[in-house]
Parts: sequence; C-alpha cells; structure tokens
Amino acid sequence: MTAVDRAVYDALRARRVTRRMSDRAVDPETVGLVVRAAKFAPNAGNRRLQPVVAVTNGTKLRLLRLISPGMIPVPQAAVVISIDVGRAASYGFPPRAPGLYVDVGTVAATLLTAAQAAGLGACPVTSFSRAAAGRILNLPETVQPHMIICLGYPDPTGGPPPMPKP
Amino acid sequence: MTVDASIGSHNPIVSEAAAIEVLAYLITAARAQMDEAAEYAPMRLITAAQKLGGHMVPKASRPVQELLRALDTFAPTATPRADRDEYLAQLDGLCVVLADCLLALTGPVTSE
Ligand SMILES: Cc1cc2nc3c(=O)[nH]c(=O)nc-3n(C[C@H](O)[C@H](O)[C@H](O)COP(=O)(O)O)c2cc1C
Repeated sequence: MTAVDRAVYDALRARRVTRRMSDRAVDPETVGLVVRAAKFAPNAGNRRLQPVVAVTNGTKLRLLRLISPGMIPVPQAAVVISIDVGRAASYGFPPRAPGLYVDVGTVAATLLTAAQAAGLGACPVTSFSRAAAGRILNLPETVQPHMIICLGYPDPTGGPPPMPKP
Repeated sequence: MTVDASIGSHNPIVSEAAAIEVLAYLITAARAQMDEAAEYAPMRLITAAQKLGGHMVPKASRPVQELLRALDTFAPTATPRADRDEYLAQLDGLCVVLADCLLALTGPVTSE
C-alpha cells in the first residue's frame, strides 16, 4: 500500500458517527465541498436519480430536527439525499425499485467520507417523517427525501456512545 | 380531557413551544416506527419521556425531579438488543421510581 492508500484506508477505519456537535458554524464552502462529493459516488446506470440538497438555514434545521425522531445531534448544517421518483419513472423504473435505494446508500457513504475529509462530524438519519420533511424543504412531490446527513464539528466534550456493533 | 386532580401541582409546567416539540416527536416517531425495527419502539417512548422531562425540570417538584434523574440514566441509543434482561430490569427500576414519585405526590395513602 502507498502512503495515500493507507491514509484512505485509515480514514475509513476511523470514521464514526458524531451524535454530539458543537455550536461552531460550518461555512457554506465546506458544506458545498461535501455536497459536491455526491457526484463521485458510484451510481447504477450513472442516471443520478438521487438529488442532494444542503440545508443551512437555522429555522429549517430546527424544523427538520423536530420531525426526525432519530436525529440526536443538533446539526449546524444538513444534507438531504432524495430519490427523484418522477425521473426514475421516466427511465422505466417500477416504484420502489431496490436499486434506487441502494444508490442513496452509495451517495451517503461518499458524503460521510467527504465530511470526514473536511474535518466535520456527520450522522446519517433515516428515522424521520419523509412527508413532513418534503413539506418543510418544499420539495416537489416527485422528489422523496430518504436520508438526512447531519453535519457539524464534533463537540470536544464527547457524546453518547455509538450504537452497539453487531 | 380530564386530569386526576389529586396528583401533583396544577401549575402549568411546560410552554406551548416545549409541548409542540414533544408532540412532533411522538407523531413522527409513530410514522417512522412503521419502517423500523421493533427494538426501537421502547427507545422512542423513553426519548419522548426524556424530552418532556427535560422541559419539566425547571418547575418540577422534588419527587418529580427524582423521577427525571432516573429517566435520564437511559442512553439516547439504548435498545433491548445487547441484553434484554438488563434493559427490562432498567425499565422496571424506572417504573418503581415512577410509582414512588406518584405516591409522594399523592401524599400518605390511608389503609382501607
Ligand atoms: C441507513 C442508515 C440510517 C441511519 N439512521 C440513523 C438515525 O436515524 N439516527 C442515528 O443516530 N444514527 C443513524 N445511523 C447511524 C448508525 O447508527 C451508525 O452508523 C452505526 O451505529 C455504526 O456506527 P458508526 O457509523 O460510528 O460506525 C444510520 C446509519 C445508516 C447507514
């Protein structure tokens, strides 16, 4: 392994969810860096049916947290990964085709790694009301949110332990 | 809706802002639970109780404070996965603290 390969592998090994975030603001460029990494994710057929939007507005972040039972951190920014079911249908995907959800996962993994590279803590959240999130984010009905990635600098005082490993 | 008039103070203890936060959590947790592992259900209920309890702390009476302290010993991601018996014991312990709190709020119970 080269030093670069080793560094990549070490980064993968060191990543952990951050469930306690500090109130230090995350600047928009850093959020943009994370969002842009979505295009590096492997994607079935390279159709890119998983739009990614950044949420940095404080009110929207608070509202998202209120409708997300699984959101333990208080994030300074968030990235929402959706499935564009309208575009998916135009390619002939049946509703709920598993591949569409697999690609949410590949985007998520890529964004989590990018967040880590940017020095940010991150926590993926799927325990939220998709219907309420769509309304709060003003998404078209054909764009269904499936994952919220909370972003923020880790609180140096630590946080709750990660979920138990299987 | 009726409240049991014999237990606890009648002074308002949470604001609308606090209550709506708990309400939003309960409603969205009900929906989220439809897609989630059953082991999350008690965790969500305890978290909802912790959220409500957190808002009650500033104005809560001493017996309620003791209950809230016991409630806070649950980690936010605790589920019955690792050790079901231990989790059950922790929940039973909390129920006993709850019963003590209710008894303290009611005052001495005369034997029949
Ligand atoms: C699809 C998916 C959904 C998740 N949803 C939540 C969530 O709603 N809330 C949460 O706190 N963590 C959530 N997580 C984070 C996992 O609990 C976490 O990744 C796991 O416990 C392993 O910990 P680690 O990432 O630190 O290795 C989710 C992770 C994935 C991959």
